[in-house]
Amino acid sequence: MSASGSTQSRSLRKLFRLNIAAKQALFAYAIILPTLAVIVIFRFLPMLQAFYISLHEYDLIRPPTFIGFRNFIDLVQDPLFLQSAWVSFIYVVFSCVPVWVLALALAVLFNREIRAKNFFRSATFMPVVMPAVVNAVVWTFMYHQDGVVNTILAWFGIDPIPWLRSSKWALWAVILIGIWRATPYYMVIFLAGLQAIPQRYYEAAQIDGASSWNQFRHITLPLLKPTTLLVMVMSVIVALKVFAVPLIMTGGGPADATRVLPLFIYQTAFEFFKMGRAAAMSVFLFAAVMIFTIFQIRLFSRGED
Amino acid sequence: MMRGHSRYGRIFVTYPLLVLISFIGLLPFYWMVACSFKTNENMFLMPLQWFPNPINWNAYGDAWKAQDFTRYFLNTTFIAVAITFGNLLLGSLAGYSLSKFRYFGRGVLFLLILSTMMLPLEVTMVPLFLIVKKFGWPNTYEGLIVPFVVDGFGVFLMRQYLKSIPNELIEAARIDGASELRIYWQIVMPLCKPALAALGVFTFREAWDMYIWPLIIVTKDSLRTLPLGISLFMSSFGTSWDQLMAVAAIGTLPMVLLFFFLQRSFIQGISISGLKN
Repeated sequence: MSASGSTQSRSLRKLFRLNIAAKQALFAYAIILPTLAVIVIFRFLPMLQAFYISLHEYDLIRPPTFIGFRNFIDLVQDPLFLQSAWVSFIYVVFSCVPVWVLALALAVLFNREIRAKNFFRSATFMPVVMPAVVNAVVWTFMYHQDGVVNTILAWFGIDPIPWLRSSKWALWAVILIGIWRATPYYMVIFLAGLQAIPQRYYEAAQIDGASSWNQFRHITLPLLKPTTLLVMVMSVIVALKVFAVPLIMTGGGPADATRVLPLFIYQTAFEFFKMGRAAAMSVFLFAAVMIFTIFQIRLFSRGED
Repeated sequence: MMRGHSRYGRIFVTYPLLVLISFIGLLPFYWMVACSFKTNENMFLMPLQWFPNPINWNAYGDAWKAQDFTRYFLNTTFIAVAITFGNLLLGSLAGYSLSKFRYFGRGVLFLLILSTMMLPLEVTMVPLFLIVKKFGWPNTYEGLIVPFVVDGFGVFLMRQYLKSIPNELIEAARIDGASELRIYWQIVMPLCKPALAALGVFTFREAWDMYIWPLIIVTKDSLRTLPLGISLFMSSFGTSWDQLMAVAAIGTLPMVLLFFFLQRSFIQGISISGLKN
């Protein structure tokens, strides 16, 4: 084979390989395109548009008029909005903190040797299976003045509580349901985290005679830290989104006691048709979620390296 | 000594605790079903009836006739199935693209998709409604399905799973002359079954649960989903509790079946949703 022929075939092969690489890249672009289109049109664009609309007055009938930051200025002076933000805050704090503790405790419990483990675990998990709307309907029934919740409380000598009809109790009723439904969900995540901890750490600790509390404190907790942080972030975002349960159970009342932010946004936009105002509220909600999302992306990228 | 101590601890602390937790977890399910068979006179009888007596067999039939629940049920099933298939197909394609190919802009695209993962619909519902309105999609199946036909979570899950599949398998198929699409469909997809099952069950559950979006874009009765139908039934005048519980039980049944038959995938989908790697 001559020297010139060999270089020719080499460059031909190179061209061929380049062609293959280009073909593969084209294929890769083609198969991600539908996903990209959906994500850009229905997720990314609306996110940007939310900012745009928030600077306008828009009632779906007349064309939007630019009013600058008027919506935001009105919002921070609107007692209803401040009340709603406060309700969301209380909901997030008091539905999330107990969930973290309970979910972790249950995960530790189910990570042990237990007889009839599958039955107990499935029973504990069941709240996750119930659809949100069903959840709201069934609990409304259970919270009835003469319902099953008050009946059970009466066994312990507690007087009937006017759960959903009192502005003092309604939010706590909604929070309890949130805890009931979220705890098993995060228990599953904690369990996955616990099972990833190598058994040999515990074996070594047992040889050293460490008590189970010390094992939990010095092995489980530190090694579970990434999972714990993730559960915290996820649960807060999910709690900020709560909507179906307060809408169906109380409609935001009594006396605005359960009007969480998403519910207020929905009502402002689709009952009072103040699109700009609703969008401005979304921006506030977005800011709250964003703080946690950035936090989470940082967690993701740390794991990614 | 230690052993004896922990055994007593189990009998007197752990198991009663487990029974209590199971009771709390199962009570709403039991109460829903039990009360769907109670007569309305006995609904709030004091002391409370734990077992329906006499049994009222009419609630299910009457409720089903009160509104077009057959239609709502079929609508929800159709929408949930469509969204699930969309997520499996588009999510795996995008995940495949992001994990097994090198091209310009890949990292940026991944970040873009990832950044929408935690973006709640509650934040974007107003502009999303305006966009869907521009497409002329209020009161259509397209409007209910297309915006959710793929999601950041599915792409992320598939990408992570696909990364664990050895490149050599794909390279070998290429050398054998298989087309790219064929490699994806006949070699990559069969290897992804566990991830696809987990994603499928997870997505189906979320789609079955969807409430706020149908509430915004559906006003026609023929397009109502089961959650919309149930909440409307609750707020309509003259609905009795037995019928409402009957409808609620039927709305829950598919999820319970899904859980019992695909328990592994059901649990896996959730544990993956909390995995950082």
